[in-house]
Amino acid sequence: MHNILMIIRREYRERVTKKSFWIGTLVFPVLMLGLVGSSIYFMSMQMAKQRHLAFVDATGLVAPPAAAKLSEGKLKDGSPMWVVEVVPVQGSVDETRKALAPRVLSKDLYGVVTIGPDVDSDENFKFYGLNVSDIGATMEIRGALTDSVIALRLQKSQLAIDQEALEALTKRVDLETFQESAAGGATKKGFEQAFFATFGFVILMFMSLLLYGIAMLRGVLEEKTTRVMEVLLGSVSPNELMSGKILGIGLVGLTQMVIYMGTIGLLRMYILAKVTGGGFGWVQDALSPMKLIFFVVFFLLGFFFYTALFAAVGAVCNSEQEAQNLQQPLTMMLMIPYIMTFFFVKNSDSTAAVIMSLIPPFTPMIMFTRLSAGTVPAWQLFLGIALLIGSTILVFRASAKIFRIGVLMYGKRPTIPEILRWARS
Amino acid sequence: MEPAISLRGVVKSFGDFRAVDQVSLDIPAGGIFGLLGPNGAGKSTTIRMIMDIIRPDTGTITVLGKPAAENVRRHVGYLPEERGLYKKMKVLDVLEFQGSLKGKTPKEARAEAKTWLEKLEIADWADKKVEELSKGMQQKIQFAAAVLGNPPILILDEPFSGMDPLNQNLFKDQILDLNRQGTTIVFSTHQMETAERLCKEIALINKGQLVLSGPLAKIKAGFGKNSLLLEYDGDGSFLLGLPGVAKVDAFGSYSEIRLEAGADPQSILHAVAGRLNVSKFEIVAPTLHNIFIEKVGGTATPILERVGDA
Repeated sequence: MHNILMIIRREYRERVTKKSFWIGTLVFPVLMLGLVGSSIYFMSMQMAKQRHLAFVDATGLVAPPAAAKLSEGKLKDGSPMWVVEVVPVQGSVDETRKALAPRVLSKDLYGVVTIGPDVDSDENFKFYGLNVSDIGATMEIRGALTDSVIALRLQKSQLAIDQEALEALTKRVDLETFQESAAGGATKKGFEQAFFATFGFVILMFMSLLLYGIAMLRGVLEEKTTRVMEVLLGSVSPNELMSGKILGIGLVGLTQMVIYMGTIGLLRMYILAKVTGGGFGWVQDALSPMKLIFFVVFFLLGFFFYTALFAAVGAVCNSEQEAQNLQQPLTMMLMIPYIMTFFFVKNSDSTAAVIMSLIPPFTPMIMFTRLSAGTVPAWQLFLGIALLIGSTILVFRASAKIFRIGVLMYGKRPTIPEILRWARS
Repeated sequence: MEPAISLRGVVKSFGDFRAVDQVSLDIPAGGIFGLLGPNGAGKSTTIRMIMDIIRPDTGTITVLGKPAAENVRRHVGYLPEERGLYKKMKVLDVLEFQGSLKGKTPKEARAEAKTWLEKLEIADWADKKVEELSKGMQQKIQFAAAVLGNPPILILDEPFSGMDPLNQNLFKDQILDLNRQGTTIVFSTHQMETAERLCKEIALINKGQLVLSGPLAKIKAGFGKNSLLLEYDGDGSFLLGLPGVAKVDAFGSYSEIRLEAGADPQSILHAVAGRLNVSKFEIVAPTLHNIFIEKVGGTATPILERVGDA
């Protein structure tokens, strides 16, 4: 026990005091904070600023109602969101628009909307501005124009409908999405955000499992090639060495995940407390503390399963080259659930998803996907975890045997049948 | 007294190759024991089995009265033939780690490591990374790593290989010092001169089999004073043709002559007197070097010879 503790201590200290560890650990939260922070900042900027818009209208009929509609939107301080001027056509619509271009370039105008003579043509409405990627603004302008054109068409068709009735007739339906849960009650949810949140977590798990697995493999390989192995085995048993290394590196991984999940948790608290509206409501569920805890749990379970295998691979190799070839099957094993997440995030209750979430090598990622994108019956969750722990113990034992023989073998790499024979011995 | 290490009928094969074949051996406590043999004789394999790094196919090994697997890691310091240290770690951190694996707390191990760095004259390098050190210094670190924790038994596999004479002397002094304080020393070597100067007891292994074992003095006595040491000027190539001469080891200005049983040294002296300018003529016991060559060289099947304990 003392020896295992000493090995854990060395692994942890050597890895956590490395610059690369802190770069890897801090880049992610900083990136997240930057992304979320800047989008919140951008959004508040956008909402706080009044925009000037010019309409150049060949029909003379579309612009006034659209301008009136846009002027209805108010900013936080009560002033209108849009200030619209209808510019009379001088010469052609295009010439008028060109005459306004300097004002757009000097940011005096947010943009110019041109309306051609034929409102039913596809190429009749055009927006000229500096920022054409603000989907929110574009949608608002388009909505105002559509309303205005519909009114115009109705007028032309000579149906006697007043404005109020018109609005009632053309009102769009709003589709809200709810998630059904076995626990009772349905929760409101944005599918896209849930998809991205889940997928973000799975990418993080996949990358972490792979990187820590390879770190384990290289650690063992380095001890082998520098012949530190034999010095160590004079003081500790192969079992102690492998256990110590896995636990030590595991502790490093846990440190990193706690920092990651902690950042996400704090960010969620901040958003829920300080940011109102702006489409951040989804963080309530998608980044719930339960989800963050489940992430760490499944990361750790997957970590022990995979690093034990990577340790065995490191033990039977003599060079980076060999290791790269022999780690392929393990990388594939990690890739499968990662790719399947694309499908299962939408069909988290499909039979395939249920079955795969109960196959130990796939359990960490698939079960987490199912938990994150939908709901999982308790018995499936516990069965999945139990199977994973059980098979991790088996993998550990087999790997320890391979490790014991492998670490002192130099020269020819053993064949797969030989390795399997060691595992069974 | 109970032997420090004891091997009984130990066999180890790698595929079809029998690396160690029925070796039984007692290594007495408190002595300096030399495990001798040519390259590839099975010395390192034997040592690795004692260290429980590999396990024998058959046979038993006990260390301080208990099976090796239970006792060896805690009570034996080990310097492997293939040296290895964590290259990226600082010297003192490496030693702290190695010492802590012998049951010490990191703090105790660190303090002990410092005293060893002083003894080995490399205290100034304590905070350098291992990879920044010269090969000779790394050997010192490796030695310190083996002796940390003050284990009662120290096993050194080829401790002097690749070492300059200064370091050889430094290590020899430290080994003798540790032995005086009660540490049982076991080391393997193929340098017979070193073994002859240091060992109280030896075992000679060839082709995986034990050829000879026992106290060095007894072994030498067993071979009798049947050798001549001759220093001379002139061409000594005729010596081998003299009656009664079994073997000649010529070194230019002197030769070691092994006599046939019953041959009279005086007749040799008479025979050479007129032909060479003799400056020294001595009747001696054979050197370990010659015993080694006689036992190992040329004999296809080694003959087991046990020389009684003192």
